[in-house]
Amino acid sequence: MVNCMLKWKTLVPMVLMMAFSWAFPAWAGVPTEKVKETADKIIAIVSDPSLKDPAKAAQRRERIRRTVDELCDWEEMSRRSLGRHWAQRTEQEKKEFVHLFGQLLERTYVDKVEGYSGEKVNYLGERVDGDYAEVDVKVVTNKNTEIPVIYRMRAKDQKWWVYDMVIEGVSLVNNYRTQFSDIMAKSSFEGLMKKLREKSAE
Amino acid sequence: MKRTGLVFVIAILCFVSLEAQSSGQSTATYAPENGFGAQGVELASIQLASLKEASAEEEETDAVESSGETVPDPLEPMNRAFFEFNDKLYFWVLKPVATGYKTVVPEEARVCVRNFFTNLAFPVRFANNLFQGKFFGAFEETCGFLVNSTVGLGGLADIATAVDLKRHDEDLGQTLAVHGAGPAFYIYWPFFGPSTLRDTIGMAGDIFLDPLTYLGDYWYAPYSRGLNVVNETSLRIGDYESLKKAALDPYVALRDAFYQNRLSKIKE
Repeated sequence: MVNCMLKWKTLVPMVLMMAFSWAFPAWAGVPTEKVKETADKIIAIVSDPSLKDPAKAAQRRERIRRTVDELCDWEEMSRRSLGRHWAQRTEQEKKEFVHLFGQLLERTYVDKVEGYSGEKVNYLGERVDGDYAEVDVKVVTNKNTEIPVIYRMRAKDQKWWVYDMVIEGVSLVNNYRTQFSDIMAKSSFEGLMKKLREKSAE
Repeated sequence: MKRTGLVFVIAILCFVSLEAQSSGQSTATYAPENGFGAQGVELASIQLASLKEASAEEEETDAVESSGETVPDPLEPMNRAFFEFNDKLYFWVLKPVATGYKTVVPEEARVCVRNFFTNLAFPVRFANNLFQGKFFGAFEETCGFLVNSTVGLGGLADIATAVDLKRHDEDLGQTLAVHGAGPAFYIYWPFFGPSTLRDTIGMAGDIFLDPLTYLGDYWYAPYSRGLNVVNETSLRIGDYESLKKAALDPYVALRDAFYQNRLSKIKE
């Protein structure tokens, strides 16, 4: 009885969401597909036995990195993480910042997925509004924990790109923005760049 | 049988009305902050609209600073000192102990220990669901507790989650927030870690609802709490390390992550 009630509870928003998604253009269903495609590719890479060999670690990381690059819009992430400071930077500064910050994010992501140990990824649904979308995902670990993740996406050149990830309610972009504005308030943009350079040299 | 049917109907009605009420509230309170706690189709489009606005405006104003999504930190120098202390405590004591424990106790058993402590903390969740008027949450928690305590062998197995009974993780800090209390300011406690003034008061209050507090002789409570901490750490080794590795300023990164996570829990 409890079960039946719960199903009914989840069914209503699902039906509503389906009805709404048909009102949007044909590519409206694409955000989830794009996330799923990338996640499946990464899971395939990290569970590929032929790449498990430590000698192939670099090759494996490179393949993960290339796959992630197809999903994430590093420039948009950088722009949002710098917030109001972005507009005050020169083209050269922006370029270097995107490069360094992109590297840091990419490395963090690769580190995370390299520790993959059979977690399941459930796709709960998506919300699309024009050029913006959110994809709700639940990662179920084998330690009996569920990690809710929201991928925030933006359409650019007819493709969907991730510009933020919200993990257990914590937005990656907001987290970096808080750190960046704190560092810049205490030192300067140069100080921030120095820290980023040190980080990428680690 | 008739009576249980009636209870179900009442519970459904309570749940539906509360859900409607709470999603309405959170639209009003959180939409300007780009909040995404509540669910619902119309809500999502409002929030997405506010997201678009934020992206258009963010060259002028810093959305984080202006919306109050950061927590005041007047005690920063002291907090940073305690952060260093806990950092050493983790790497020098807790992590080695948890690693040793991990090599002796298999993961399945450690998950059972985690399930046991989570199930035991039921009174905290139940009471705070009630305090927040979340009657369906309290009801579902009760069902979960009964199922896990019996079929789940005293809480060792989490049968409730397996049969789709959701956990409603409410605590007194969230209850205070729901009734309008602000976080006041951030406190990083030695041993306990990140909190705020409000959540510290909440934590102190929740101790009275925690069955461990009433576990016979006063020696049992510290021992069992210690076991809980070591067990939990053994299941999370690497999390703190990766936070540090990804952060430019781990202290600020943890403060922000704690606070954002708290906000999302309060919204739920």
